[in-house]
Amino acid sequence: MSDKFEKNLRDHLHSEAQETREFPRRLRGRIRDGIAPRARGRMAPQLALAGALVLVAVAVLAVRNPTIISVVTTNIKQILQPSPSPTPQPFLCQDQSGGSTGLTATLTNIRPGSHTGDGYDRVVFDFSGGIPSWDLTRQESATFTRDASGQQVTLDGSAGLKLVFRDADLASTVPTDLKRQFTSVREIAQLGNFERVLTYGIGLSSSQCVRVLPLSNPSRLAVDVATSGSASTTAAPTPLPTLSPSGTDLGTFSCLDTSGGAESGLAMQLTAVRVAHQPGFDRVVFEFAPQAGGTAHLPAYTVSRQASAQFVKDPSGMPVTMRGAAGLRIVFHGASGASSYSGSRDLTPGLPVVQEVEQLGDFEAVLSWGAGLSRASCLRTLELANPTRLVIDVQTP
Amino acid sequence: MLMDPTLGRVIERWRAGDRDAFEEVIDRYGLQLLRTARLILRDPSLAEDAIQETFLKAWQRIGSLRDEDPGPWLTRIAMNESISLYRRRHRFQALTERFGRLGGTRHELSSEARLDLTHALDQLTAEQRAAVALHYYQDLSVEDTARVLKVPEDTMKSRLKTALRRLRELTGSEEAFA
Repeated sequence: MSDKFEKNLRDHLHSEAQETREFPRRLRGRIRDGIAPRARGRMAPQLALAGALVLVAVAVLAVRNPTIISVVTTNIKQILQPSPSPTPQPFLCQDQSGGSTGLTATLTNIRPGSHTGDGYDRVVFDFSGGIPSWDLTRQESATFTRDASGQQVTLDGSAGLKLVFRDADLASTVPTDLKRQFTSVREIAQLGNFERVLTYGIGLSSSQCVRVLPLSNPSRLAVDVATSGSASTTAAPTPLPTLSPSGTDLGTFSCLDTSGGAESGLAMQLTAVRVAHQPGFDRVVFEFAPQAGGTAHLPAYTVSRQASAQFVKDPSGMPVTMRGAAGLRIVFHGASGASSYSGSRDLTPGLPVVQEVEQLGDFEAVLSWGAGLSRASCLRTLELANPTRLVIDVQTP
Repeated sequence: MLMDPTLGRVIERWRAGDRDAFEEVIDRYGLQLLRTARLILRDPSLAEDAIQETFLKAWQRIGSLRDEDPGPWLTRIAMNESISLYRRRHRFQALTERFGRLGGTRHELSSEARLDLTHALDQLTAEQRAAVALHYYQDLSVEDTARVLKVPEDTMKSRLKTALRRLRELTGSEEAFA
């Protein structure tokens, strides 16, 4: 009796835990901000102490020489008067992120507008279903890399913003390229729409600070680009990153084995395996569908790195050598492709790093695949829904 | 617990102030810690706050990590943060309820009501939920659970027993799963 209760409790806790499907990017951003080199705002205690010491020193001087008071008050006025009053929503000269994960959001429109009189140009991204997770990156040129093709595209302007939405669909009516001759915003162009990751580039006349406002009813994300250096900022301008060929906007690559997913209920059915190169990484996608009566979930998986492209088939134990000099072994528990997957079980895409992807086993709901790599590389995994997918990005040189 | 060499190198880079290494540690442990905190706090936003504080403290206190797997160390910090956050929230709720403002959402349980496990877990104390989460979700032994929560092993056995008894009472024991 007790064992049954405890088993149910254990299952329930795992089920509750799986509701948190991923580590939120906004949380990662908050942590990243927290460990960043100390900014001016965090110096408040030290500044207060320094101020107190100055006051004590002035008091001592005033006792000895009363004329010092007029000098000090004049100087204090000079310090205080020029300070602009802070605005509630300041422009920030740094990368930003936000939004919510786990939404079924669709981008329905993009609306640029000029508010030069108020000191900014605005680009509004309209959504249905809430505002998905987003990342905004500033860059020092208006040249971007398209997500799927890797082609370079240069927008109007001399600086840029890259905006990435995750877990977001795209309505067919959304324009792919908008040109405007605003003070700051010159062009907005779609850079990618792949695996529910939407990427947009915004060409700017010059590097400017940005304010991002998530708004509701209807859901929309307003990106305000300052039109002059007078916009209120809370941080000194940070150095702009150079355009990185790695294009790693979807999370950090890790040189560690990784795991995730959940083994629960009926086994998931493998329906597709796709391999493609994108700027900075080769992507391997495993797509799953639930059985009749089952619920969609990503099966428990492990992705293990290895120093050779030699694998052992499961359950035969037969050795198999793939192309390449290193490898990845991907094992799903609670998954099978025996009756659902009709594609090739030995893919040889010949990408920069991923040379071969081959099924190693499909037995008793344990599904194993291997990937032969041209070199040992770091990884990034993404767990995506609708349809259920495990995306493995293998970093390329 | 001994570290694998790869993780050891990551920790060494972290000790040297390498933020990328620290992010690799977040990649490795963050999701499970967040899930555990959510089981204890019963609130996604509070759980994120607890885990944010956990990693910020970990970053600052890397010097106190011995040559060991950082998992149990991070779990210990996360549990402390989760429980203390829950206590602060609980104290605030008690005050506001006393003064008749901002009434809390605490579940009023009728004597005959039988709750599902989700609501039954809501009724446990944060310390009990932490014990249950570590033992039944993270699959830590009673000994390891006691070590993480810094209580004697016998106290942990008693705490788990009490928590289970309470959950059985609230759910109608095994019948709820029949």
